[in-house]
Amino acid sequence: MRKLVLLAFLPLLAFGQGKLAPATTWNAIKFPKLRDVQIPKVEEATLPNGMKVYLLENHELPTVRGTALVRTGNLFDPKDKIGLATITGSTLRSGGTTDRPGDQLDEQLENIAASVESAIGESNGSVRFNTLKERTDEVLQVFHDVITKPGFRQDRIDLLKTQMRSGISRRNDDAHGISQREFTDIVYGRDNPYGWRMEYENIDNISRDDIVGFYKRYFFPANVILAVQGDFNSAEMKANLEKLFADWKVTQPPVPAFPKVNNTPKPGIYVATREDVNQTSFALGQFGGMLNDKDAPALEVMADILGGGFSSRLFQKVRTKLGYAYDVSANWGAGYDHQGLFEISGSTKSESTADALKAIDQEVLRIREQPVTPEELESARQKVENSFVFNFDTPSKTLGRLLTYRYFGYPDDFIFSYQKAVAGVTREDIQRVAQKYLDPAKFVIVATGNPKEFGKPLASLDRPVSDLDLTIPQPKAKKAAAPADAGSAARGKALLAKAAAAVGGTAKLAAVKDFTQSGTIQLDQAAGGLKVTQNEQWLAPSHFRQENVLPFGKVATYSDGKTGWSVTPQGSTALPPAQLNQIAFESFKIWFTLLASGENPDRTITEAGGKVEISDKAGHSLTLTFDAATGFPASLSYAAPGNPNGSVEEVYADWQDAGGVKLPRKVTMNQGGKHFADVVVTSAAVNTGLTVEQISKKP
Amino acid sequence: MNIRSGTKWARAVAALACAAGLQAQDLKQFEKRVTEFTLANGLHFIVLERHEAPVVSFHTYVNAGSVDDPKGKSGIAHMFEHMAFKGTDLIGTTDAVAEKKALAAVETAYDAMEAEKNKGPRADKATLAKLDAALDAAIEKAGTYVVPNRYPQIIDENGGVGMNAGTGEDSTTYFYNFPANRVELWFYLESARFLHPVLREFYKERSVVREERRMRTESDPQGKLVELLSATAMIAHPYHVSPVGWASDIENLRTDDARQFFEKYYVPGNMTISVVGDVDPAKIKALAEAYFGRLAKKPVPGPIVSVEPPQEGERRAKIESPTQPIEFIAYHRPNQNDKDDPVFDVIAGLLSGGRTSLLYKDMVRDKRIALAAQADATFPGGKYPGLFLFVLVPAQGHTLEENEKELDAMLAKFVSEPIDEAALARVKTKTRAGLIRQLDSNEGLAQLLASYHMNYGNWRVLFTGLEDIDKVTAADVQRVAKQYFTAKNRTIASTYQPTEKADSKQGESK
Repeated sequence: MRKLVLLAFLPLLAFGQGKLAPATTWNAIKFPKLRDVQIPKVEEATLPNGMKVYLLENHELPTVRGTALVRTGNLFDPKDKIGLATITGSTLRSGGTTDRPGDQLDEQLENIAASVESAIGESNGSVRFNTLKERTDEVLQVFHDVITKPGFRQDRIDLLKTQMRSGISRRNDDAHGISQREFTDIVYGRDNPYGWRMEYENIDNISRDDIVGFYKRYFFPANVILAVQGDFNSAEMKANLEKLFADWKVTQPPVPAFPKVNNTPKPGIYVATREDVNQTSFALGQFGGMLNDKDAPALEVMADILGGGFSSRLFQKVRTKLGYAYDVSANWGAGYDHQGLFEISGSTKSESTADALKAIDQEVLRIREQPVTPEELESARQKVENSFVFNFDTPSKTLGRLLTYRYFGYPDDFIFSYQKAVAGVTREDIQRVAQKYLDPAKFVIVATGNPKEFGKPLASLDRPVSDLDLTIPQPKAKKAAAPADAGSAARGKALLAKAAAAVGGTAKLAAVKDFTQSGTIQLDQAAGGLKVTQNEQWLAPSHFRQENVLPFGKVATYSDGKTGWSVTPQGSTALPPAQLNQIAFESFKIWFTLLASGENPDRTITEAGGKVEISDKAGHSLTLTFDAATGFPASLSYAAPGNPNGSVEEVYADWQDAGGVKLPRKVTMNQGGKHFADVVVTSAAVNTGLTVEQISKKP
Repeated sequence: MNIRSGTKWARAVAALACAAGLQAQDLKQFEKRVTEFTLANGLHFIVLERHEAPVVSFHTYVNAGSVDDPKGKSGIAHMFEHMAFKGTDLIGTTDAVAEKKALAAVETAYDAMEAEKNKGPRADKATLAKLDAALDAAIEKAGTYVVPNRYPQIIDENGGVGMNAGTGEDSTTYFYNFPANRVELWFYLESARFLHPVLREFYKERSVVREERRMRTESDPQGKLVELLSATAMIAHPYHVSPVGWASDIENLRTDDARQFFEKYYVPGNMTISVVGDVDPAKIKALAEAYFGRLAKKPVPGPIVSVEPPQEGERRAKIESPTQPIEFIAYHRPNQNDKDDPVFDVIAGLLSGGRTSLLYKDMVRDKRIALAAQADATFPGGKYPGLFLFVLVPAQGHTLEENEKELDAMLAKFVSEPIDEAALARVKTKTRAGLIRQLDSNEGLAQLLASYHMNYGNWRVLFTGLEDIDKVTAADVQRVAKQYFTAKNRTIASTYQPTEKADSKQGESK
């Protein structure tokens, strides 16, 4: 009996204990206290070369990723070369390293589902990697090589330039994009790096030398902060990074501050015409401030009440009440180190353009003239307070924030003091800052759409109205839309032909089958002060031998273009890929074939400003300049494989005949823009009957 | 050369082996943290514990989308999604009883106006104007009881972030994140909007949706082209119409249309909810039973029966646009549950996954005729037979014809020449790694779990699907490419520039 009773009661008991009754109203629900967030500890270190490192272990997934943040930006673009920073940032990775072309990196990384990517934006440059844990060392090596010895190969520079030109040609295709771009440019001013625009001509002006120069100026250890997070041991990672970057010791003077924002935009309505759309996309506003301004928290709350979400005034009025827009929002965009933008943006059907802008105007005036309601303030305050935890929901947010704060010189605990300030904002503060900073009479208003269908004319808004000219300027002296710039190739070939004629003519050059030259190289004191005696031999098509007599003995190196060896006092070794590539480059730049590059289908010739760039499919490239009067090559420059100091320049003088071909007897070598060594050629001869056996014989 | 590629191959195999190890391990680890249950009314829950931070992501997946829009009512699935933020009988109103009456009056006024309008040429203009004004007045009156946007405001004020919803061809989803102490509030709000939805402000929201269509479709050449592509490639199947719907359909949608759609498709057995984050599964189950157990069990609607007939010849469609040219090329393919589904994914990876992909190397990098050339294996949805899509964006100075020809040549080679085994291995490795990288976001996981459960019947397919990808051979790739990439089976939609330069301000034209 007892047992039966118990059984009968069991379901009831379960009901009484486990079954939850749903709350009848939402505000009857009691919220337990939110448990504290765990703020992860970030390890900090400075490597011996000056690079700052931040490490954050996170063992949840077997991955590792990192970011090197570099103090640079397109704010440093020269006026006639807008886009230089962007091209440098992109080709830093895509252009390969000094020993390996970009394609090889693409394949290596994608084979292991890893990535290394680089970019330069407005006020920072970054190189990022992402890898599965077990590939960390391999990927870090590529990451290191991309940062410290980029190859900037001409083919990838040309590819990017093609793509950027295509981007310019398409920049007026997106109405929303037009409004955003024009609004920003007008507020910041079109005559300075914050508001100027890249055109075809800027891209044409940018050469590989410019890119290498830009890279060298900004990429040095003391200018880099590196953050790595993921599945690793911090002590080991630190030791690895120290070892990995030990060879990177270049120095540069500190990077100057970014330019100051200094513009007084002309207020009014600017109309960009797109007759194929039936909706107007608008962007309007003025300068915002800086994030560390004392009024920034009040301004952010003000903008949030005005246009920060579903419950904001603009959303309620323009979208929900009037049904004028799908999207409408306001944002007090404060910058870390320069003035940001206060921007209201959205879109409305063509006919309601003036009405929607008018409704927005009224809301802006209202927030200046009347205090916000206590409910609005409380709602905004709760929103910030209750969602604060999402600033800490992943460890990477903590690391990212620390990196940003350090980069811009903000205190580590900025987010906490800022949140405290937000919590303390009063209704009076909001009205005070709205009146002090918001000046609707001075707003810049950009509307992109079809003015023929605007219901009311925009002039009804009592502001000056002007048209925006969206025409894309064609580069000066541009030969129609010729693919791959045929004119540039033709000019380059002409200069090469002139040089070939000056040194003896194409027939004589083509007849050279072998070449032997001896001389001395005197290195500067700064470079070690060594004097080296050198003997070089070349046998067509790609045998190359070099013998250097150094204080510690003789070093002989030889390659047939595919494999090779090196013999030093320590013995004989096969050449590693880096050195093979270096020798292949010597064959690439030998005068007899170099000056005939114009006839070589495997080589690409481009010319800009009298400089001729020659590149081949193996990724070799160099730049030649010429003596305008004689036609002789004047100098030759290239990114030296494996040379961290960037490009090498050889300046030629004293051209003398050697078997019907004139060759330079004096060469001045500069490295990274500084004098490095002098070369004196004591003897040179061609077609001496050199054989493969002779050139490849080990000493 | 051979030695080199051998090394690469070996490397790829090694990477693959490692990733494979991870996969088995991950599935096991996951299973430990996943709790699944189905309520008596058929509503399915998937709960994944992740205690890294005191936050939770919620994702509601409704197995109904624009394919289920009735004829002449295109856009209604999307319209209801908007209405789901309008509140309940207790949220968003100052007086529920009076409002209910006022909303009924709106419908009565609308009926009267519509009846007159439907007379067409016999409609009396003066009467119609009067009825129109009466409708506006009724809408205005109902509006006086509204506390606008109260429902989303409650979410905002309680620290909800990432709140949004989406309507696609196959599904409608609702999602946001809350601090972990607000779990019960989510249960209250989410169940309330499906228990007691009040379709207030319907006709104002209809204007908002109309603006959304202007923004996404009518004022964007790409949007117009996507719409045209679907309408041309799909004739019988409702993939024919894009989720936002035709302009004229939207402008005539009625509150009752939305209600009928809701009642038919938003039934517990047709929905799955995932909860990912700092939660106790037992508590979630108790809350689910308490709050969602109240939804009545109803029959689950069946799938669309219309089957797209085989295409009998190439179709082309064009849009005149002053913008720079773009082209979409779409080949019919079977649905996501077909045995060849993973093969299509692998093909898309080989053709356009990253800098080592065939289209990038050939068209972008080497020939430089394209700014972008991409493939998408599943368009516009996967539930029903759909399309394998190519997008061509020519580089400056190059034409669509040139790009199209090159793509054709590439596909011909793809079918006739052996597939590079190293490239095939690379695609598989990247697919695996891609999954691993998705596993550290509550939000992403919530979306994946619910969607895999609904689309493949089991969230574990997220992991086991990798095995299907692994089994794809070079022969499969060629067989499928050969079978489907035929001229007869494709539809091409492109833009062209007007021959006369209509407006010099449009920028350059060639």
